[in-house]
Amino acid sequence: MKDPSPRAHLVRLGLIMAAGVVVFLVLKSVLVPASWVDEGGDWYRGESLNEMMEQPLIYGGNESCQVCHSDVIEEMDEFKHKTLSCESCHGALIDHVQDEQKIADAFVDDESTWQCLNCHDERITKPEGFPQWNKQKAVEHMQMEEGMLCITCHTPHDPTP
Amino acid sequence: MTKADQQAPRLEDERMDSRREFLMHLLTGTASATVLMVFGPGAAAHGPESSGFMKMAKAEHHYAYVIDVSKCIGCGNCVRACKRENSVPADYFRTWVERYVIRQDGVYVDSPNGAMEGFEKANARYRKNFHSAKTVPKMCNHCHIAPCVQVCPVGATFKSPEGFVLVDHGYCLGCGYCVQACPYAARFINPVKNKSDKCTWCYHRVKKGKLPACVTVCPQKARLFGDLSDQEAEVTRIFDEDKWLVLKPEMHTDPTCFYVGLPREVV
Amino acid sequence: MELYGLPGGALENYIFPNNVHVEWSLMIVIYPYITGLIAGAFVVSSMYHVFGVKEFKPIANFSLIVAFCFALFAGVPLLVHLGQPQRAYQIYTTPHLTSAMSIFGYVYTSYLILLMIEIWVIYRKHFIEMANTDKGPLKWVWPILTLGITKYNPQSAPHDKKFAKFLAGIGIPWACLLHGYVGFLFGSVKAVAWWATPLQPFIFLSSAIVSGMAMLFVMYIVIMWAKGRDYDENLVKKFMISLWMAFILDYSLELLELAFVSYEHGLHWAQIKPLLLGPLYNSYVLGQMGLLSISPLLILGTVSLLDIRGKALIYLSSLGSLMLVFQVLMMRFNVVVGGQLISKSERGFVDYQWEFLTREGLFPAMLIMAAPFVAYYIISRFIPIFEGKSMDTEPRKTS
Repeated sequence: MKDPSPRAHLVRLGLIMAAGVVVFLVLKSVLVPASWVDEGGDWYRGESLNEMMEQPLIYGGNESCQVCHSDVIEEMDEFKHKTLSCESCHGALIDHVQDEQKIADAFVDDESTWQCLNCHDERITKPEGFPQWNKQKAVEHMQMEEGMLCITCHTPHDPTP
Repeated sequence: MTKADQQAPRLEDERMDSRREFLMHLLTGTASATVLMVFGPGAAAHGPESSGFMKMAKAEHHYAYVIDVSKCIGCGNCVRACKRENSVPADYFRTWVERYVIRQDGVYVDSPNGAMEGFEKANARYRKNFHSAKTVPKMCNHCHIAPCVQVCPVGATFKSPEGFVLVDHGYCLGCGYCVQACPYAARFINPVKNKSDKCTWCYHRVKKGKLPACVTVCPQKARLFGDLSDQEAEVTRIFDEDKWLVLKPEMHTDPTCFYVGLPREVV
Repeated sequence: MELYGLPGGALENYIFPNNVHVEWSLMIVIYPYITGLIAGAFVVSSMYHVFGVKEFKPIANFSLIVAFCFALFAGVPLLVHLGQPQRAYQIYTTPHLTSAMSIFGYVYTSYLILLMIEIWVIYRKHFIEMANTDKGPLKWVWPILTLGITKYNPQSAPHDKKFAKFLAGIGIPWACLLHGYVGFLFGSVKAVAWWATPLQPFIFLSSAIVSGMAMLFVMYIVIMWAKGRDYDENLVKKFMISLWMAFILDYSLELLELAFVSYEHGLHWAQIKPLLLGPLYNSYVLGQMGLLSISPLLILGTVSLLDIRGKALIYLSSLGSLMLVFQVLMMRFNVVVGGQLISKSERGFVDYQWEFLTREGLFPAMLIMAAPFVAYYIISRFIPIFEGKSMDTEPRKTS
């Protein structure tokens, strides 16, 4: 058998490497997403913006409540609690309405005080002038008894002191 | 946004320029990052005058977020709404509220369960003789020069033309480099999805004309979201007075989340 | 916590809610450790192939094979760590060049290929011999490895030698890139005070060379002992002097970083000082910088400067090297995990929880660390790694 050329193996190696690079480049061009954005320093998959829009809305905002409850919302403009979100106390829209159909009653908690105290319990961190409830003061100055709820005296939508 | 309007025709030399500029940024950015850190807060402009803001000038909207610390009552409505709206897993937070009790001898900070249930009364030990006490909402700062965007190895996190810093969950590797790079700990690896997660300013809501969930439920209007291109917007008006701040300005991230009434002790 | 105080005037430890979990854990500790071993072992091999250090000739091929064995598994801890490992290919398709991490795929793959080709060139003659003589179950493998050239032409030897030298030559900067860049990856994160230093790439690189050399030496001693062969005292002596000098450089850089940050007394020190005196006191101050640095410095210094021969030389050298193997492993832990112990709240430290059987726990980490040694054992069954009358391939020895 004739001796192979002293460089034959290196040539074959080179060919294999070249083939590898070609395969790699083909794979790369196939695998880069079609919507890829490469512009002005941006570098991302354009389609992802559309995918993010598929995330469902959980909270509707007060404007969603207006559709059916315009009477309450209109009154609210005059109320102390006009800046509040209905959904903070009554639960998220998606639990109440889906596809413009009511699926369940909105949540109304009339047996506890935590929703009131959540905002109005006295804390050193709260801004001055924000109405804060201090049990001791309340017992001294009003005829408060054990077991009374905030809403026994205050209407939750317009809680005048 | 479709592919077509993102790839609007551009002049070839303009492209080259931006590429050269980009390479320069890469070079100077990497070299200066550590140096700048050493020398602390610099004189870089933040807010609407910043270079990062100017760069986005072409987009129709320039969204910004404002947190008025002096109005926050620490009720935690925002944290609860965010958790629900974005299905954020337990023990991780896209937004959270911190309580600062500032005293002569130091600062007491806490954030029990991110303020999901608001705050109990502060420890009596710290309640005595305090100088001031505030609750401070925190979230992703949607930085113009976002370290997380810079370090993402595959382009799975990016700044959208309108200012949202977003994570592409269809592309994220879950390597966690962005979590390390964020100076604000706004990012985490979602233990359910095994992908990087953070506040999106409720991109899915804003693009449908709604406000972010946290802004929607805030009873005090301590959280504002709006468009800096609108001169009358509440978020724009805060720049009328020199009372706004950003978090960790020494990090030179050029945030788009501005604070009003921020105590200097807040990190 | 009370003993050393808290940063930022904190009255109580406060960490950001999202900082509770240490995101980069043991997998990211052993990843730079393994790449460091590759770089270090490769440098030893190149000392003979490129710089003609004669004393290292007996271990030139050995160190190359060891480098290759570690290189095979360098990517594994990263894959295990990834939340979405099936997307790892994206690092090749859309590398985001502003990210230090993005070039990992290319640097790592090209380096692995370089190692494979260098080994192939050096062992080509052996492959041809085996292709012509092996009748065992692996007889079909050898012709593939010869690329179809099953007759050895002695005239190809100078070409091969030159090519091997060329590969070993470009391999040095490439190995430095592979590892120095890991240091860059950490050093450029401004948000983590304990990582952010421009010295980081140099510290990683010098410690890589130390760990690679030390690991190589420990393996050499164990293999020679297991085979009942004589240790090459000239090699050991020369090796220890090189290792000692490499470690002096490494330790100086680590001390320099510490000295600089503490003397500068800036933004970082406020966080780093309580970190080092608190959560990292045992593993960094006492372990990495104390016991595991000062003892090898003294031991290797003794071996290098005094005329120690025989068993004492072997025992002292092995002890010193073994300590350095663990010094660098501990350094990787202290950097990777230590940096994350500083909460970005700048007012508290995270509590690191050791895990055992979880995905990033101690057990999988030990499995991955063991894999290169298994690979080495398998490879050594098929190719002669030590020169001379090798016992590695004795059952199959044909020439």
